[in-house]
Amino acid sequence: MSTSLNDAKALISDVSPPAWYRQVPAEPVTRIRPSKSWEHLDFAELWAQREVFYFLMWRDLKVRYKQTIIGAAWVILQPMLITLVFAVFLGGLMRVPSDGVPYPIFAYTALLLWTFVSNAVLSSSYSLVTNAHLITRVYFSRLLIPAATVGVRLVDLVVASLVLVALIVYYDVHLGWRILLFPFFVIEIAALTLALGLLGASLNVRYRDVGTVLPILLQVWMFVSPIVYASTIVPPRLRFVYAINPLAGIIEGARSSLFNLPFRWPSIITSVVITLSMLIFSIHVFLRMENGFADEV
Amino acid sequence: MRPIIKAERLGKKYYLGPRETAPPTLREALKNSLHSKVKTISGGNRSRHPSVWALQDVSFEIQPGEVVGVIGRNGAGKSTLLRILARITKPTVGKADLYGRTGSLLGVGTGFHPDLTGRENIYLNGAILGMNRSEITRKFDEIVAFAQVENFLDTPAKRYSSGMYLRLGFAIAAHLEPDILLLDEVLTIADASFQKKCLGKIKQASREGTSVLFVSHNLGAVQDLSDRAFYVHSGRLHAEGKPDTLIGNYLKDVAVQASASD
Repeated sequence: MSTSLNDAKALISDVSPPAWYRQVPAEPVTRIRPSKSWEHLDFAELWAQREVFYFLMWRDLKVRYKQTIIGAAWVILQPMLITLVFAVFLGGLMRVPSDGVPYPIFAYTALLLWTFVSNAVLSSSYSLVTNAHLITRVYFSRLLIPAATVGVRLVDLVVASLVLVALIVYYDVHLGWRILLFPFFVIEIAALTLALGLLGASLNVRYRDVGTVLPILLQVWMFVSPIVYASTIVPPRLRFVYAINPLAGIIEGARSSLFNLPFRWPSIITSVVITLSMLIFSIHVFLRMENGFADEV
Repeated sequence: MRPIIKAERLGKKYYLGPRETAPPTLREALKNSLHSKVKTISGGNRSRHPSVWALQDVSFEIQPGEVVGVIGRNGAGKSTLLRILARITKPTVGKADLYGRTGSLLGVGTGFHPDLTGRENIYLNGAILGMNRSEITRKFDEIVAFAQVENFLDTPAKRYSSGMYLRLGFAIAAHLEPDILLLDEVLTIADASFQKKCLGKIKQASREGTSVLFVSHNLGAVQDLSDRAFYVHSGRLHAEGKPDTLIGNYLKDVAVQASASD
């Protein structure tokens, strides 16, 4: 049977151009090699698979916003309820300093960003484990999975920003030129979140107690960052130490841009440097551990 | 003609037994890392752990349009070979170059997203293959007709029966015109009529220039389809050549082992 198939092929190729018309390219499309200690980020591959990224994101969004009202409501409610609690106890009863800005909008701005960080870091840390069935069956750059998860939370952030707009109108906040830098801080916080999400995701594949530790760490992180208070309560001589936390510079910067307050450049620049270093480090760790995901997940 | 797949001395080593190399919790990992210096001095390193070569020293070339059937006993390393070529896992040693787009269908799981509908999964798989939407749309009807899932296109894949899963998975892998098609145990699970359809489709794909590497315990299908066969035994490419000769050898080996164990 197989020989007759070969004969048939030979026959076809005699009369017409070869039926197997596909040209074999000179360069391999895929090179399969053992893992190296330093894997490079393949930008061409990421670009070729951008539709995969889109699909992964779109699927999560679809599930979330299926019942539009409830989906969007939950995304808005989470930062709002927390703001309410802090506004009553910290802003109202304890009179925590808030840079001269009404406490509710002061806290909501930061809690909006914090909710994004906290949710995105948690869900992207779990993303590889929950997508194990894909990882063990088909190949695509695994980086797209946690990245898409962060992307989904970024959409949530945009939805929840509608409340911020309402608050801006309500408190009659006068926007200045500094608001132009607000998107920059959103990008920076997304980069920081992606860095931590990648790290969490790769660790979670191997060590399953990461999911237990993360919420605790996140809670601590929230209170060492200027989210429900202004960083002015930190003594000036300790500001330098305080700014090592990149979230401090980002949150302060975002608030300064919204309320048109002077930027504290040292802490902003520190946050950019630390965020970028963390992102490079996380991508490196992720690419190194990526090779083992299918065997370990 | 230049080969479309070129593999050189591929090998894959798996570590066995207690996962001392990878503690299950971060807490233990941190604790161990404190002891690691002591361990290195006393010689308790990774190489001491029991390991097995699931695949060893496998080299071959496959031509465009060639259909190669891989036979061998369970655990011989057939699936590991396909998993490496599909880039699911990396080899420990060796290298392989693929000169074309690779579509794969490894087992029944197929890599569908269970929450996505059949329609969406077709597009997702196409995207993974690196196709754009218009390319996929062009092939869409053909895929659906082949898989006979017209009525379930908007049903999430998790509600599919295993037969539907398999049919759609095969249809996507075969119709999205990959240059290389990797199939693992697809024919064994399919029912008789779909098996026949699969065989026809594989032959057609091969005529159109797709190279097919497939693992199967269905020796009839291997004989019927393959231009060449690989006989994998304990992680090594034991023999390669004409399908009927190799199937004969394989059956002989199985018979010898069966009588030896009596």
